[in-house]
Amino acid sequence: MIYNFYVERDSILHTLDPRVKLIGSASIIVLLLLFNSPVVLIPFFFLIMLFVYILGKITFYEQYRVLKPLFPILVITIVVWAFVYDPWYKGTLIGVAYGLRLLTFGLIAFSLLMTTTQRELILGFIKLKMPYEYGLTMTIALRYIPTLYMLALNIMDAQKARGWEMEKGNILVRIRKMSAVLIPLLIASIKTAHELSIALESRAFGARKDRTFLYTIEMKRRDYVALLLTGIILIIALYVRYSLGFGHIKLY
Amino acid sequence: MMIQVKNLWHIYEGRKEALRGINFRMENEIVALVGPNGSGKTTLAKHLNGLLKPTKGDVIIDGMNTKEHSVAELSKLVGYVFQNPEHMFFEENIFKEVSFGPRNLGLKEEEIRERVFWALKEVNLNGYENRTPYSLSGGEKQRLAIACVLAMKPKYLILDEPTTGLDERSSKSVREIIKNLHKEGHGILLITHEMDLVLEVAQRVVLLYEGRKVFDGPVDEFFSLELRNYDLNKPELLRISHELNVGFVRTVEEFIWRLTG
Repeated sequence: MIYNFYVERDSILHTLDPRVKLIGSASIIVLLLLFNSPVVLIPFFFLIMLFVYILGKITFYEQYRVLKPLFPILVITIVVWAFVYDPWYKGTLIGVAYGLRLLTFGLIAFSLLMTTTQRELILGFIKLKMPYEYGLTMTIALRYIPTLYMLALNIMDAQKARGWEMEKGNILVRIRKMSAVLIPLLIASIKTAHELSIALESRAFGARKDRTFLYTIEMKRRDYVALLLTGIILIIALYVRYSLGFGHIKLY
Repeated sequence: MMIQVKNLWHIYEGRKEALRGINFRMENEIVALVGPNGSGKTTLAKHLNGLLKPTKGDVIIDGMNTKEHSVAELSKLVGYVFQNPEHMFFEENIFKEVSFGPRNLGLKEEEIRERVFWALKEVNLNGYENRTPYSLSGGEKQRLAIACVLAMKPKYLILDEPTTGLDERSSKSVREIIKNLHKEGHGILLITHEMDLVLEVAQRVVLLYEGRKVFDGPVDEFFSLELRNYDLNKPELLRISHELNVGFVRTVEEFIWRLTG
């Protein structure tokens, strides 16, 4: 069950402040949206892979593993562009670029999750002025994924003991059969949520507007340097794109 | 015809051994499966209807090796009532809920009806057919869970903590159901922490500790063990009868009878 992507490493990306990583990721996404030329997008993907490998010590194999589920989207993008664009070879090239752009989005998101613990990430969001309640909601959601997974397995076992077989029947029969698991799961989830809300309130959740934290994060010099570098790269990119007019192609 | 467990080992992926070389047999009797948390009780029980398959060793139910049969096939022979009854309820009324099992066995509509009414009567829930399962009380839910499994007419019945969290009246009615089912010829395996339940209904006790079977024998012998070593407690009745030297008794009535001669 993969619900936590974090991998323990001793790297620059791991030790950076989560706020810097969030801003950095957002900046890279801006860069991706600025350019649409294959000349930029294709090398950019590999550059990010290298960047994550060197600064985050995430091996290429690990990157490949998290991106694998996105490959069908890459293939579909390429095929669709090859069909709708004339001439087809240019369409294919654009398809590759756009597909890799999506993959770069994925890579950025996964790298963030692989180099940042959930606690740090949520703390980062909160320090960036996200309301505390949203952070708590995220924490609870992540915390309950394995719990609900175990619950689902348990319910499936209980129904299997009553002769329930998921594997038999066509797709419609199977969907109907899933209700034997989904209904008890839903009811148990609602009950758990209800109990959790009572537990939260009985511990005075929301009694004070401002919150203190047991674990805090602090910007160090390297964080400011990283932030500065991000800013400089962003400015250079804007200059290249708008003053030099490089990296954007007219499609139609 | 019996349940046979031969040198059973089970290792959950990436963890240490949950069961280490269990040998165990069971016929039409009431066996209590006891042991502290994490001793392997549930793991062993889940092997008996094929929910778990042995890492090493064999589990044979009336000649059927669980490795070669699906849980659905084995469910005709071994019924398993899970600890939390709510984890199985999903139908709009109790009739449909109880008929779910027999329907999965592919029985005729007439036979299904017959079995549902029979099973509900066995657990004293006849007349409840049109109510929704979630409207029942805790004790009634537990009885309904038993009926749902009973309707499949299994020869053996596994009950996981059937009386935990129930009030005295509900607990008593579940205990009566257990005794009745045994009289009708079912073999019953009780997974429990309640030594009072063991004392009242069990005929044999199997004690697991850290994945090993450390005791298998009659109830009186079981209670003469130093149970504290296995994080279990001895019922008050037995402590008193031991102090007063009246020997092994199962009920207060028996105790008084012995005491007064």
